[in-house]
Amino acid sequence: MRAIAAIARKDLRLLFRDKGDVFFTFVFPVVIAVLFGFVFGGGSGGGGTIDLAVVRESDSTLARGLADDLAKDPSFTTTSFETREAAADAVRAGKATAAVILPKSLDAGLEGLFSGQGIAIDAVVDPSRRAEAGLIQGKLNELAFRQFPKLFSNSTEMKRAYSAARDSIANARGLSPTQKLLGAGMITAAESFSSSIGGEPTADTGAAPASDGAFFAPIAVKVEELAPRAGRPRAAFDVTFPQGIVWGLAGCFGAFAASLVTERSRGTLDRLRLAPITAFHLISGKAIACLVAGLLVQALVFTVAILFFGARIAQPAMLVVAAFAAAFAFAGLAMALAAFCRTEAEANGAGRGAILILALIGGGTIPLFFMPPFLRTLSYGSPFRWAVAAIEGPFWRDTPLSEQVVPLVVLIGIGFLGWIVGARALWRPFAR
Amino acid sequence: MLALRDIRRRFGQTTAVDGLSLEVRAGEVFGLLGPNGAGKSTTIAIATGLLAPDSGSVDLLGMGSPSDPKVRMHLGLAPQEITLYAELTARENLRFFADLYGVADARARVDELLALVELDARAHDRVSTFSGGMKRRLNLAAALVHDPRLVLLDEPTAGVDPQSRNRILELVRRLASEGKTVVYTTHYMEEAAKICDRVGIVDHGRLLDVGTVAELVARHGGQSAVTVERDGVEQRILTADPVAEVARQFTLVDGGADGGTGPVTGVRIERPDLETVFLALTGRSLRE
Ligand SMILES: Nc1ncnc2c1ncn2[C@@H]1O[C@H](COP(=O)(O)OP(=O)(O)O)[C@@H](O)[C@H]1O
Ligand SMILES: [Mg+2]
Repeated sequence: MRAIAAIARKDLRLLFRDKGDVFFTFVFPVVIAVLFGFVFGGGSGGGGTIDLAVVRESDSTLARGLADDLAKDPSFTTTSFETREAAADAVRAGKATAAVILPKSLDAGLEGLFSGQGIAIDAVVDPSRRAEAGLIQGKLNELAFRQFPKLFSNSTEMKRAYSAARDSIANARGLSPTQKLLGAGMITAAESFSSSIGGEPTADTGAAPASDGAFFAPIAVKVEELAPRAGRPRAAFDVTFPQGIVWGLAGCFGAFAASLVTERSRGTLDRLRLAPITAFHLISGKAIACLVAGLLVQALVFTVAILFFGARIAQPAMLVVAAFAAAFAFAGLAMALAAFCRTEAEANGAGRGAILILALIGGGTIPLFFMPPFLRTLSYGSPFRWAVAAIEGPFWRDTPLSEQVVPLVVLIGIGFLGWIVGARALWRPFAR
Repeated sequence: MLALRDIRRRFGQTTAVDGLSLEVRAGEVFGLLGPNGAGKSTTIAIATGLLAPDSGSVDLLGMGSPSDPKVRMHLGLAPQEITLYAELTARENLRFFADLYGVADARARVDELLALVELDARAHDRVSTFSGGMKRRLNLAAALVHDPRLVLLDEPTAGVDPQSRNRILELVRRLASEGKTVVYTTHYMEEAAKICDRVGIVDHGRLLDVGTVAELVARHGGQSAVTVERDGVEQRILTADPVAEVARQFTLVDGGADGGTGPVTGVRIERPDLETVFLALTGRSLRE
């Protein structure tokens, strides 16, 4: 035990005294996280169109009109979905920023228009996109008001609305007889007003609906925030900080994959071999150092995320577990590679090269959800993908525990495998 | 203490060690003297179990092969290369090796060793800032952390200044006086002559002869040379007893046919040494 601890301590010291290793393990990841965060954040924040998933559950004129106008609006790119669930999934998968549901109750809402109930439109929005949600809400109001002239011109539909309104006024309990009379009079007046403008084409001056808005009950856009397990991060930094961690783990991996080779070429491996320790002690000491370094990188990246970028961690305890699993996996991998590489050139070339490719396909630079499907499939072969998945779950996705199990198991499996393979590969020259 | 029996080891076409046998006795400083490429380091690597011989056997302390950790606990090696962590301090290096061996009271032991190799003043400096001599001394100290009974020093004076060299030689004698057995390889015959109780002459992976320096010289050194000068003329005379020859020369009036005339104006005695022994054994000079 003492030997293992001594090896771990020694290797951590050496890591911290190598400027290159410190840079790639600790500085570079933070730089990546912050830099990419700003790059991605700038791209998706302001300009561009908002992807809307539209579900038209009602076949009414109002619903159809709203759907058409949404599609025509230059602020939106709309996609139709059959069901709420499908639309919500699209939001989860990051394919749409929000889903707008034009419910069946839209027609009922119209009937209640004059009794102050308003029209209920449901919207499902990624909570990270509250700014866009506000915009969508405003747009929906504007577009809904634009529908009224069309509605007024449709006498049968309006007559139904008016009679429904009359009924509701007549049956309303809280109204005095005078108020009821007044209300009925207003409806009659409105009825005659609407039939007088009946022949006019769609009124679409922005000002008219806006001023009318005070009179008609506002359109109630009921915004439902999709449970925080949105497939899309709250902010670009939510993606880039796990990416930073990936690069940090890659840095650890690089440093430790080369460390055994360095011991070999500097001759210190001979001293280790002469000591009364086994290959398992040696590999374990190094793996523990790599593990600790991996945990330190992650702690550093998350500290920066929390202190400077207001990141909130959904499941802190699970995040610690995930961080541990990720670091463990890379420690094991580093040991496996370290034991096989015979020269420093091999470790630096093959080791760092392989890790670069794995990091890239695992989502190190381009987030997985931006990747073409074949790359996404390929990414299952990269431990980095599993690390990102394991970390994102408790970090911001807030995925249920059951969904976090797979990446954790994969990572821990990789770690054990690497550890054992490394110790075994080293055993041969060690055992003489 | 250490017995090598008919060790052979090839690297591709080169035979590094070619049927070498030797026995190192407890408490002696045993020198392996031979030119570069003679197979000294390979022999050491096999003796410590770092390298497997193609054939032959190694026995340490009568306990068996050093591939057994219990056996190799008793040996300490200072390799020919400086095998230290350059970015750790002197103290951190020794402490690490002490921890590897599970040395009790490692802190005190490290202090003791730093004092022994006179590096206590630089204990907290990184090895990368050390001079060649300082690195050598620390390299040696690292072989001693676990207080081994057998210490193998592979060219411990390579690349050091004369002052450091003398310190190292003193240190080796001191280890011997403390009862340790030392195997010391070198290609400097002066060092071997100065500190080794017995010397083995190696060349081309073979042990040509073993013995005390006096024994080796007596066996292979041949006669001493006495050079007598008379009136500017030098005469070289080979003899088994140079002192008697010098005395005889002083009684002569002149040097005869080969020598000068008149009284002796100068005398020089050349006794055979390990260099002569090596030349006699191999037909080549050690210094080549
Ligand atoms: N690892 C090796 N691979 C190939 N040749 C080697 C190796 N080690 C030693 N040799 C060769 O074996 C011979 C003996 O080397 P060595 O034992 O280092 O000699 P010495 O220590 O006496 O200078 C040399 O010819 C050397 O080139
Ligand atoms: Mg050598």
